[in-house]
Amino acid sequence: MAAKNSTQRRAIILLTLTSIMLVTLDLQDSPRVAGLRSVFGSLFYPIEGVARVITRPVGNAWYGVTHYNKLLDENSLLRQQVAQQEGATVAAAASVRLSQELLALNGLPTLAGINAVTAQVIGESPTSFSQTIEINQGAESGIRVGMPVLNAAGLIGRITKVFNNRSFVMLITDPDFSISVKVVSTGRKATESTLQGVASVTTSTAVPLEPISNTPESETTTTTTTIPIAGFTAVVTTLPATPQGLTSITIPLASDLDVRETGVIQGNGPTRQPTVRFIDNSLRFGSIEAGVPIVTAGGSRSLAPPDVLIGVVSRVVERVGSAGPLLEIEIAAELTNLSFVRILLYQPITEKKSP
Amino acid sequence: MLVLLLVLSIQTTLFKELRPFGVAGQVILLFVICAGIQFGISIGAIVGLVAGLMFDFVVSTPAGLGSIALGVTGATAGLYLYFFPSPIWWLRMISIAIVSVFGEMYLLIAQAMVGLGVVLELRLLTIIAVVTTINIVLSPGFFLITRWTLSERKKES
Repeated sequence: MAAKNSTQRRAIILLTLTSIMLVTLDLQDSPRVAGLRSVFGSLFYPIEGVARVITRPVGNAWYGVTHYNKLLDENSLLRQQVAQQEGATVAAAASVRLSQELLALNGLPTLAGINAVTAQVIGESPTSFSQTIEINQGAESGIRVGMPVLNAAGLIGRITKVFNNRSFVMLITDPDFSISVKVVSTGRKATESTLQGVASVTTSTAVPLEPISNTPESETTTTTTTIPIAGFTAVVTTLPATPQGLTSITIPLASDLDVRETGVIQGNGPTRQPTVRFIDNSLRFGSIEAGVPIVTAGGSRSLAPPDVLIGVVSRVVERVGSAGPLLEIEIAAELTNLSFVRILLYQPITEKKSP
Repeated sequence: MLVLLLVLSIQTTLFKELRPFGVAGQVILLFVICAGIQFGISIGAIVGLVAGLMFDFVVSTPAGLGSIALGVTGATAGLYLYFFPSPIWWLRMISIAIVSVFGEMYLLIAQAMVGLGVVLELRLLTIIAVVTTINIVLSPGFFLITRWTLSERKKES
């Protein structure tokens, strides 16, 4: 009996020390712990697969019973939304295409230039405290820790653990999630002003193709931009062939272009909206209003490329002192019903290993 | 060990899907509590540490954290045998409810101790309530499983 107790005590001490050592190593991102996880995952995955096949009907039945009415309502709502958005999609696709062309023309990085992997969501976190999902693509598909994960609506999270053929994604609502973002706000209202050597300057949303001129058509060069690019208004620039023939020139004022402030978005759990902090107290564009879009900031150290949509500002909490305002964000993506996601195979320059 | 793997697979498949009020049931926690209540502090702690270690390898929280939390939970459950050596079914149910609450709290405390973000909000009460209820409902079956599993081990040793 005493020997048995002694053995049990030794086992408890050994296991406790092992656990403490693992916590210490894992918090320092030790590759050994990652290796252990990977080995255990490889062993456990077939067992889990069998269990999934056996338990899926039970899960489906439960889902059918508990979500049937909600599913019907959601279905009819989605049909309406699809009908509304079908038209808008065509216009949006054209805008995106033009935007990408413009960015490429100016040598700026675009999302279209980044390879992506599509993955299926195969499970949520087995605990109720962490906001993670599991996807069915892993290191074999080129996925690495830190890569941004999107769905059709925008950013949903980032990769936190990678195995050979599955990965874990930390959702944007997880309290440990944070990423640098830009708050995009349109500038002050357009004002009419006069430029040197130009009779008048007007800003217009109209898209006339003919030059506004009294001179013969053959003497005028016309440059037109017809599709609005997200954030600023398309304008017509009409340049005269000769100074004498000048009538009007329409260009966007600097103050009409998007002005951006940067901050850091942080998750606050599933029931509370994420918040953006570290916004400069003295904003260049005045005050931030609800509805303003939030996109990733990008940069050499950011884990996500620039201009990935995250959501819109739902509430601005003003704070005293120099802390700057706190922004509550309504995420564009619906995180509760994720089926397929896209992983951008993007790594910032600082993370890329030299060959 | 094999039984633990099967319980873990049920945890990571069925109980990831069945989420009453958005809360996942914790059958691994229930397994540890049942082991502790039936076999005492030492066995409860060992089962908790091993089960936690396995659980840690399939979730994204730091490895070892769940092991410590479940080990302490198993030991806490084992106190039942210390105070009430003869099994009384309703006392066991109450013990399962109380230790389930402790188990969830231990996990939160462990996460907070290593600096992981822990959001204290009303949802925590929902999580505890749902996990406790599920554990009470499933406990008769799990008592049988743990008794069979650990008794077999006893004979072998």
